[in-house]
Amino acid sequence: MEAFQHLMTGFAAALSPLNLLFATIGCVLGTLIGVLPGLGPAAGTALLIPITFKLEPTSAIIMLAAIYYGAMYGGTITSVLINVPGEAASVVTCLDGYEMAKQGRAGAALGIAAIGSFFGGTVATFGLVLVALPLTRFALKFGSPEYFSLLLVGLSLVMGLAGKSLAKALVMGALGLIFSFVGVDPVEGAPRFTFDIAPLMDGIRFVPVVMGFFGIGEILINAERSLAGVIAEGGKVSSFLPRRDEVRISILSILRGTGLGFFLGLIPGTNSAVASFMSYSIERKFSRHPDAFGTGIIEGVAAPETANNAYANAALIPLFTLGLPGSPTIAILMGALIMNGLTPGPLLFSQHAGFVWAVIASLYIGNLILLILNLPLVGWWAKLLKIPYNILMVFILVFCIIGAYSLNNSMFDVGMMLVCGLLGYLFKKLDFPLAPAVLTLILGPLMEQSLRESLSVSQGSFAIFFTRPISLFFLIVAALIMVTSAWQAWPSTIREESKEAQV
Amino acid sequence: MRRLNAIVWGAMLAFGAFVILQSLKHNYYGSDFGPGPGFFSFWLGVLLMALSLAQMVMTYRRPAEPLPAGFIPGREGVTRMVCIIGALAAALLMMTTLGYSLTMLGFCIFLLHRLGRQPWWLTLVLAAVASFGTAYLFGLLQVMLPKGVLGLM
Repeated sequence: MEAFQHLMTGFAAALSPLNLLFATIGCVLGTLIGVLPGLGPAAGTALLIPITFKLEPTSAIIMLAAIYYGAMYGGTITSVLINVPGEAASVVTCLDGYEMAKQGRAGAALGIAAIGSFFGGTVATFGLVLVALPLTRFALKFGSPEYFSLLLVGLSLVMGLAGKSLAKALVMGALGLIFSFVGVDPVEGAPRFTFDIAPLMDGIRFVPVVMGFFGIGEILINAERSLAGVIAEGGKVSSFLPRRDEVRISILSILRGTGLGFFLGLIPGTNSAVASFMSYSIERKFSRHPDAFGTGIIEGVAAPETANNAYANAALIPLFTLGLPGSPTIAILMGALIMNGLTPGPLLFSQHAGFVWAVIASLYIGNLILLILNLPLVGWWAKLLKIPYNILMVFILVFCIIGAYSLNNSMFDVGMMLVCGLLGYLFKKLDFPLAPAVLTLILGPLMEQSLRESLSVSQGSFAIFFTRPISLFFLIVAALIMVTSAWQAWPSTIREESKEAQV
Repeated sequence: MRRLNAIVWGAMLAFGAFVILQSLKHNYYGSDFGPGPGFFSFWLGVLLMALSLAQMVMTYRRPAEPLPAGFIPGREGVTRMVCIIGALAAALLMMTTLGYSLTMLGFCIFLLHRLGRQPWWLTLVLAAVASFGTAYLFGLLQVMLPKGVLGLM
């Protein structure tokens, strides 16, 4: 009940004309990012952080959150219309969405995706309201040892973001941590890894690294290929209303997608692509006609799109309540929160209740804005695809430069972004995942500080982490995540080697 | 692919050794209790070296594989990348002198003309929007951009 009272106060703030305007702008920009090829939600959110620099923190985060879930939906439009997924979570939508478009049913596919996304996102936000306060109260019992162990859970998630190679993910995690230690040591004040370069005394900032990795790196990768226009003629958009029988079938798919997306959003280390792919395969299992999947059936669009948006909203639960970013985009949102002087975690709800409930309320409003925006304007969004990439790319570069510079009015940060862009390009070429480095860059300083505080309390004894029940619980969870990830990675290595032995 | 992997993991190995050497310049234990400024970075260097060594061994144990198709960009691709990196580096060097708008105008004209292959009039219009237009927009948002010696943002 208390949560709903807070939520009502949040609605009062979120419905202020200014915040409503920023939520709408965020939804528009997010959808634009999702629609345009070559920009995923992580890169897009990072690129647009500078727009929010001078905003009041609540408005800034409302806008960034809207960009995030707007981009999740924007990716669907290109998947359905031209078979080009705007981001990884929409890949699976191409399978049936594009087939529907070829049959002249693009409108129905986009309509059911918008409705499913709205339902999934709204239910997940309702879940956030229900669990936020109990989870926060539990987390308020944390001292430094518990916080350190919790952050260790966060770090162990690096293995969950591994992609093809666990070793490469660990290396990237280590590189992110090393980057995070650059600057003045928080306890003794000694400069580390600064090489007498004055701007490095303030540490390596998060925005230039993210913009370099995701913005410049992505542009360099795309520049390798032909920059000719991406547009291809897809299905025409006509009626947005699915047929009555399609609605009946879709209801169950949307419900299953919501449940799955919400559940996966609570587990840090998963990502929205996992939610949409799992949802698609579950639908196939439940279906009476699994062979029809991929031929243009509506469940193949409704379920993954719902799961993907339910995931996007539910993933904010571990961020807001425990300070754990579960995906690269959420890690970028966490960075934006920290830049605004707000540390995600249990204290956020007690120290900045007004802020956090306004953001939660804005999620409902944002989902509604997306629904209103996307149903009638889909045709307009599709036209944006006609902008040639070589023009778009120049504007992205301009935004990168502004973003990196305006953070601290420093050309050094622009140089750092360029260096990180080159590194990002090389890492992408060599299949090193970037997400673990971003995650550890954010978590590194928090982790070091809590470890050192804990050891000061225990007079140097590491037993403090094992004798406190909550801390021990988190250590066990972290160990389980690491062992499971290593176990999952192991068989593929063994298989490869046995195959090689046979050869 | 084997040679490339060996170079990559060799570079990581060297970086790990560099991190360890740097961390040895700092206290391993703190003046208070627990780890000092060099503790974490030392062990991260060790982790980097261990992982790199393991991967190098794996690289030589596996049979050689060809590079994935399209791994090495074609001449046009390389030219485009060099243009982008060069333009960014030039903008970095000139921005404090010329100011944001003029630098970005040159930056955009060069990239749009070189990579965009648009008509001149469109190149100029787009470059003006991307330079003076964004300067005006971010000025409204109270974001400070370099003014240069001419005092022109």
